[in-house]
Amino acid sequence: MIKKKCIAMLLAGGQGSRLGLLTKVMAKPAVPFGGKFRIIDFPLSNCANSHIDTVGVLTQYQPLELNRYIGNGAPWDLDLSSGGVFVLPPYMKAKSGEWYRGTANAIYQNISFIEQYDPEYVLILSGDHIYKMDYNKMLEAHINGGADVTIAVRPVPMEVASSFGIMNIDEQDHIIEFEEKPKVPKSNLASMGVYIFTWKMLRQYLIDDENDPNSKNDFGKNIIPKMLNDGRVMLAYRFTDYWKDVGTIASLWEANMDLLKVPPEFDLTDDRWSIYARTPVMPPHYIGENAKAERSMIAEGCEVFGTVEGSVLFAGVEVAEGATVEDSVIMPGTRIEAGAVVRRAIVSENCVISKGCIVGEPEGDIALVGQDTVLPENYAVRAGEQIDNSVISGREAE
Amino acid sequence: MNDVMGIVYTSKDNLNLRELTTNRAVAALPVAGRYRIIDFTLSNLVNSGVRNVGVIVQKNYHSLMDHLGSGKEWDLHTRNNGLFIQPPFLTRENAGEYTGIIEALRANFDYLRRSRQQYVIVTNSNYVCNTSFEPMIEQHVKSKADITMMYIKVRPEHLEFSRSSDGNHCYLKVGEDKTIEDIEVNPNAANYPNLNMDCFIIKRTLLIHLVDQAIARGAKDLEGEVLRPYINSGALKIMGYEFDGYYRRIETIKGFFKFNMDLLRHDVRKELFGTHPVYTKTRDDAPALYRSGAEVKNSLVADGCVIEGSVENCVLFRGVHVGRGAKLKDCIIMQDSYIEEDVEMEDVILDKAVTVRAHGRLIGQRQYPIVIGKNVTL
Repeated sequence: MIKKKCIAMLLAGGQGSRLGLLTKVMAKPAVPFGGKFRIIDFPLSNCANSHIDTVGVLTQYQPLELNRYIGNGAPWDLDLSSGGVFVLPPYMKAKSGEWYRGTANAIYQNISFIEQYDPEYVLILSGDHIYKMDYNKMLEAHINGGADVTIAVRPVPMEVASSFGIMNIDEQDHIIEFEEKPKVPKSNLASMGVYIFTWKMLRQYLIDDENDPNSKNDFGKNIIPKMLNDGRVMLAYRFTDYWKDVGTIASLWEANMDLLKVPPEFDLTDDRWSIYARTPVMPPHYIGENAKAERSMIAEGCEVFGTVEGSVLFAGVEVAEGATVEDSVIMPGTRIEAGAVVRRAIVSENCVISKGCIVGEPEGDIALVGQDTVLPENYAVRAGEQIDNSVISGREAE
Repeated sequence: MNDVMGIVYTSKDNLNLRELTTNRAVAALPVAGRYRIIDFTLSNLVNSGVRNVGVIVQKNYHSLMDHLGSGKEWDLHTRNNGLFIQPPFLTRENAGEYTGIIEALRANFDYLRRSRQQYVIVTNSNYVCNTSFEPMIEQHVKSKADITMMYIKVRPEHLEFSRSSDGNHCYLKVGEDKTIEDIEVNPNAANYPNLNMDCFIIKRTLLIHLVDQAIARGAKDLEGEVLRPYINSGALKIMGYEFDGYYRRIETIKGFFKFNMDLLRHDVRKELFGTHPVYTKTRDDAPALYRSGAEVKNSLVADGCVIEGSVENCVLFRGVHVGRGAKLKDCIIMQDSYIEEDVEMEDVILDKAVTVRAHGRLIGQRQYPIVIGKNVTL
């Protein structure tokens, strides 16, 4: 196997339970975003654009949709003879087999995969964030700084700093302290969950960590604190561009809305740093005679006869005449029938919002309709509610 | 249909398509917001299970080669079979440009001989329809015909496309048992109501034989010089297969314009895109963005567009920008064209990457739309 300077390992096994019904049947990285993308398109496209051509994707929870989507990796130019994309689920070994117990354990279980490429550096990524980042620049900083690990950090507003992993650094950007969700944060530099390790070093720490029965086998909880403790060279790499954690329904909705601002907070049209995705085979979308479409993003295959404002419509969505969609995210293949009103909501794939339904409210939390849901006529989904077919049949039974 | 291969031939440039085909073959003409004409033919073949497709290209084939690539989008990048692009090349017999389909097929005898399929579908790529060839193949095999030609009952909308063009138009007399009894080649006034669709199925070995014979006799015209004698003598069993769906030949600017406008009709979209998928080369554009002030009615809009003005009865290809206050009516705007603020346009066709500077005004006529060539700045 050809030696690679740096390969990427993408942790895509998490359930993303804070996304509620959205991740009932698919892993979080497979959740649709921005009219045609899925969350995993962002780290994969960043890899492609940073010329990192070997990526292991560690899957565990509901991998079917994710496996199907990644396929041979062609959309990200990762269908290569040397390198490419590899889906790595946990597997049975001669004596035993087990699930990935934590982020560090997941990498530990794939040491032999990594060793095939004999890399000098390993980039650890997660499938939870929307951002465009040149990993090569970070690798350069890692090499130039002679670091054992480099962690990407981003300033966040002080008020919310207590919900992130916070890095306290010195003048040379060396990390001197790491606090997971501190009550009283000392800085506002949050870890982005993007790490570059010098592989030899990480390998030893993974083996030691595995032998420690008290460890939770987690990067944030175990590996990073241990390296700090041992006085390793740990560098913070500052990133100031757009970066959004889309781990909750509210933040997923907000990140979609960010695309509609003028100028957009996050620009998907920049062809110097394209975000690649599997493009569906569909004709351009059609806007009808009496339709209205403003401040919105509309993908191919849609048929719009009603009103769409401040919303993101994925491929193949139908909005019937007399239907209204406002400040909402409508995922692929969903049909909104006449007279239905959808406001401040996320409607998942292949749903039917029947005539006269009211989904969401002008104020309050985001309403959510889960995948394949068929709402009966005139059904109301209130702000913050989560509805799918089983919730509906449960209510009917009552 | 492992036993059927496809040969797609692309016509020479067509003067009636004016600026649109100066730099590209008709088959590579962009249509319907994100496709090229040849996508329909290739998808029809692939959707019928054909896995070995040769595309005979003639002149101006750069953009066609660029579009087809490895054939990946049509799943034609397989180890065996797949897509074979056949540009003309200089040989003792061939001066680098084909005089017609006969010569083109002769130049590709090696490919034809090497292929293993029993049948060949030979088709032009200057028309649009969405069909499966499977019923035609079935009829061909069952009826033990030597050749089965696809045709359509002519309606006024078909003729509108064909009249005044220098294309090849054949009309067929089809008997009750579907036998073709006569063929008219480019008549001034047609006697028969069936328009040949330039698409037929034949045994591979018979095709090689017929082409060989034609070359020996110096015949250049397939329909008039090769098929007509056989039809009239009855020496070969030549049958017709009627197609009764949406079919348009793209041979004139007016025809090109009308076809694109037809796509604003729900029934046409449903037939062309709602039955079998139409594959094409994809681009990595984000979905279209509608800004405040956008007013879009009865239009087809592809990914990557940014719309700030008003758009009515238009087809916008990928990556088109419509500036604030711009007013577009009955226009076809090809990919990456940029329309600045307060531009007014009616009955206009813009080729790729045209820029129309602010406050410009372009008003064409429905019967004779204004056509602006590629990469022009107005």
